[in-house]
Amino acid sequence: MVTVQRLERLPLGPLALALPAIIGIALLFVAPFITFVVYSVLTAGVLPFQADAPITLDAYGHFLNSGVNHNLARNSAWTGLFAAVTTVAISLPVAFWLRYAAGSHRNLVLLLITATIFASYLVRIYAWRSMLGQNGVLNSALISVGVIDAPLQFLLFNRFAVTIALIHIFLPYVVLLLYAALGPVSINLLEAAQDLGAGVTRRWTHVLLPLVAAPAATAFIFVFILSASDYVTPQFLGGTKGIMLGVRIQESFLKTGDWPAGAAGALTMLVAFLLLYLIVSFALRLLGLRSVRFVS
Amino acid sequence: MTDRIRSHGTGAITVGVLVFLYAPLMIVVLFSFHSTGGLSFPFQGFSLRWYEAVLGNTEFRRALANSTIVAFSTSLATLVIGMLASLGIAKMHGRLRSVIGAFFFVPLTLPGLFIGLSLLVWFSRIELPPSLTTVTFAHVIYVFPYFILILLAVLDRLDLTLEETAADLGANAWQVFWKVTFPQVWPIMIAASCLTFALSFDEFIITFFVIGSESTLPMYIWSQLRRTVNPTINVISTLLLATTMLLWVVAFVAVLRSERRRRYSISKGAFTP
Repeated sequence: MVTVQRLERLPLGPLALALPAIIGIALLFVAPFITFVVYSVLTAGVLPFQADAPITLDAYGHFLNSGVNHNLARNSAWTGLFAAVTTVAISLPVAFWLRYAAGSHRNLVLLLITATIFASYLVRIYAWRSMLGQNGVLNSALISVGVIDAPLQFLLFNRFAVTIALIHIFLPYVVLLLYAALGPVSINLLEAAQDLGAGVTRRWTHVLLPLVAAPAATAFIFVFILSASDYVTPQFLGGTKGIMLGVRIQESFLKTGDWPAGAAGALTMLVAFLLLYLIVSFALRLLGLRSVRFVS
Repeated sequence: MTDRIRSHGTGAITVGVLVFLYAPLMIVVLFSFHSTGGLSFPFQGFSLRWYEAVLGNTEFRRALANSTIVAFSTSLATLVIGMLASLGIAKMHGRLRSVIGAFFFVPLTLPGLFIGLSLLVWFSRIELPPSLTTVTFAHVIYVFPYFILILLAVLDRLDLTLEETAADLGANAWQVFWKVTFPQVWPIMIAASCLTFALSFDEFIITFFVIGSESTLPMYIWSQLRRTVNPTINVISTLLLATTMLLWVVAFVAVLRSERRRRYSISKGAFTP
């Protein structure tokens, strides 16, 4: 009855207010994605950038049977894995410090870290290229200090460089997420563990990690998916060795013009991401870490 | 002391992370002021010559103008649609609310690559040629969930009974919005709009697929990344960094202030905007 009264009182009901947004998402997200899925089962036209009937799963077959794609997929998976594991591992102690030890510096450090979220994506890629290059900042600094005689060659144009830049891009998000996750975890819990004789290691493994396992897994999946699907960073930092699946998918849309192939590749990648998500959620549930929640 | 605990080196790691995050960016900024064309140490003195070169470049000016137009249109459209949508959803209950709420966040579930590709195929299918308009459409879909995320967090804590009281006292919907809701939410609307502007101004991954032959600032940087080896790209990067990070600081401060004001007015026992 409450809703009915409200609707009578306000000329615009809640649903009417939300309608423009609903139409917008339907027209600019749902419909495009459905069209995209349809293109993956079409046949590439005689001319590039076109696709038509007959409906077939050929594009998926070609994608899954190509050795080149296997290599690129492996590269994407390793890059995603390295970036995600490192980012989460570095973010945990930072989130810990912000939550329990920062004191009056908390807001400032939080502002500094989150401000870099808005440091342009392309600028970061460029920044790392000028840091890691043969005549780059790192090499020239090391040479002038006298640590090395000749520039290090392994810094740029490989998976290492791509991973570093991706960590740089996603680190602030993950720190923020884990800091928020520690919000409800009272400091009393840590002090109680300490009073009961638990050392630093035990406090981490037996108190903190089980409590942040679920958000940390979320952060892991987030970084993995966005890293593995990146198509810009590998182009500029990966060289020939660090090239990834996203680059190839992007090329089939804008260069070679085989849209069904690109759509099938992209959707295969999306299914792989979905599988990863399901596996991680299942593992968390198996370990009984899903619903753990301590509120101070 | 209640708030602190022995940090066991986590403070040192935090300092390390700050250095890791800022050092590359600062190097870019530093070399934008370089007096020679060199891009690494030794640094040979300050000069504004690369700034003059960039600001005098018509391609750059066009990209800057385009980025500004797109970001402004995007944040304005998102403000109108998003404000209506979040007011609507704040007044919904139960199942309807969770369904519509989930629908609003659906675009967040796909990485940019997939959104860009879907839109490329869709715009070609409905025969909408790539232009700044398609870029704006793409950006609205990209920033909308973030806008809603911020506004909902705030609207959910507002006192909706105030609106009902105003309506009971004879205010029409427009008066309720302007005199009761708006004074409470405007700092957050500004903060959220700063964010959507910054997100749009800097967007590349989706833009790349729907822009055609036009240019925006990130597109311009991308094209420069493939050829230039002089500090002009540092200058453009510095300008982009300054714009987006400044917008973020404005947003952050606006949120902090509205939060403080809220706490203050609650502690006074009355909500007086």
